[in-house]
Amino acid sequence: MPGLPASVDLDECIARLYRKELLADSVIEAICAKTKELLMKESNVVHIQAPVTVVGDIHGQFFDMIEIFKIGGYCPDTNYLFLGDYVDRGLFSIETISLLVCLKLRYPERVHLIRGNHESRGVTQSYGFYTECSRKYGNPAVWHYFTDMFDYLSLSCVIDDKIFCVHGGLSPSIHSIDQIKIIDRFREIPHEGPMADLVWSDPDAERDEFSLSPRGAGYTFGAQVVKKFLEVNSMTHILRAHQLCNEGYMVMFDDRLSTVWSAPNYCYRCGNLASVLEVGPGGERKWNVFDAAPENEAHRIEQQQQQQQHAGNDPIRDYFL
Amino acid sequence: MATLPPASTGPADAGVKGITTQNGVWRVTTRKLPILKAEPIDKLSDELGIPIPEMIFGDNFVSISHVKTGWNLSFSAPEALDRVSKTEEGMLQVAVADEWKKTREGQEEVKQVVKPFDWSYSTDYKGRTEKGKADGNWTETNQEKDPIRNDLLTRQDPILFFDAVDLYEDELADNGIALLSIKVRVMPERMLLLSRFFLRLDGVVLRLRDTRVYIEHATNKVIRQYTAKEEKYEVVQEKLKAKRENATEAMRDANRVAPLLRTLEDRTEVFEVD
Repeated sequence: MPGLPASVDLDECIARLYRKELLADSVIEAICAKTKELLMKESNVVHIQAPVTVVGDIHGQFFDMIEIFKIGGYCPDTNYLFLGDYVDRGLFSIETISLLVCLKLRYPERVHLIRGNHESRGVTQSYGFYTECSRKYGNPAVWHYFTDMFDYLSLSCVIDDKIFCVHGGLSPSIHSIDQIKIIDRFREIPHEGPMADLVWSDPDAERDEFSLSPRGAGYTFGAQVVKKFLEVNSMTHILRAHQLCNEGYMVMFDDRLSTVWSAPNYCYRCGNLASVLEVGPGGERKWNVFDAAPENEAHRIEQQQQQQQHAGNDPIRDYFL
Repeated sequence: MATLPPASTGPADAGVKGITTQNGVWRVTTRKLPILKAEPIDKLSDELGIPIPEMIFGDNFVSISHVKTGWNLSFSAPEALDRVSKTEEGMLQVAVADEWKKTREGQEEVKQVVKPFDWSYSTDYKGRTEKGKADGNWTETNQEKDPIRNDLLTRQDPILFFDAVDLYEDELADNGIALLSIKVRVMPERMLLLSRFFLRLDGVVLRLRDTRVYIEHATNKVIRQYTAKEEKYEVVQEKLKAKRENATEAMRDANRVAPLLRTLEDRTEVFEVD
């Protein structure tokens, strides 16, 4: 495997990204190409060992991601599994995904990234990442580098053969883990089928089985589905992200499934808590709950500007009609 | 002043701010708190009989009261959601629904379809009126007789009080956005409130439902205008392209979309508070 160009020093990139500095687009291009090579070798189901700290949706909230390292430990002292949705919505999607990708390259066995529904060309064009790339780099080239790389992200992870980790949830087409392994994942997330379900579906406490959403697309899955999936695959727990929870996490189905949410004060206005889940060497689970990082304050005005719909550029003089 | 509705947690006055007009006749109050926690969400879902939008600001509200009589017009998420259709009537389907129908034939595992409801959370909510000691009713009028004076509202009069309060928002599983939010501004002589429901269902439709409330402080008259607008997604897209605008970006902004939609309903009512 060819190395990174001699001009790219990963440790220096990581140091710069911790300071929230952008990397040159040529560096992003090289790093994304290298990450593709690395991810290509990963299975659709990556098997890892505890201890590991599992992180849910971040959505470009860079300062809050740094807060996670502050409270949970920096790489490589702490192992991390990120469950996707790194970009869109927040102000710093580029800085966030750049840092995560560099950490993955630098510590490939200690950092794992899987794909969320926002790691897609379609979704990032509507929810902010495309616009941010065009604005911060003057053209959408880096958006192409990143989204091409997203096609290689793995779809799921299993901790100690016991905890199944995925961004969204289960699929009616998937009974056993082996069925995930045969998905051809190196592509844009399709509108339907098992790959879409894994990044999209939601649990539903009111129902036992799979249900079709009234939207006409998308599934929810119930208690019996979860129980059966765990039995068939000899596992004890499903850990997923994808849904906002005010408390930062949510445990359902007699402790058989939990949702981890890692973007505090989501979109800089929801006022919710966030969490990461620390899975210990014996499989014990500990929620580490945290609030929005104080550094967000310095970007109050930018946050309001980004939310034009909600507050106007200058709320004091918003002469709306 | 009307009593504050209790918040799901914490003291009733947390996140509350307000202003009384200089002549003491009107009072505007807002409350902004975090999204609801899991338990109140379940409770609200049971009460309304529909799933709750992913961002639910169930403790937020905006209210305008007539100080002397206790007459009150208020806006809150639970009531707005209660006006969302709980049947199949008017139910939209996402752009990829046809594709889904074809592929899920023979999917034995899928035994249930979630009870139909208007998952776009479209509401024709115009606020809740409590009369207090006041007499009278909302009566139909029109903009010629009881105009919202945009000429006076565009004047750069000082804004003594401003707030923007979200009630709910849902990304429709990344098929667009449904957002109900309220803005209110109080100037020395008049106030304007805009409650706006904005729906963008990608590849399908754009929809706006605006309720404007306008008061000249020196009067006892509340003018309320409800405007419903809608247009097919592709029609709006074409119009934006013809104007050489970035359609994807423009369609995220209700203000840019508004002039491109067809008006389906436009009603003005007035309440004379005595």
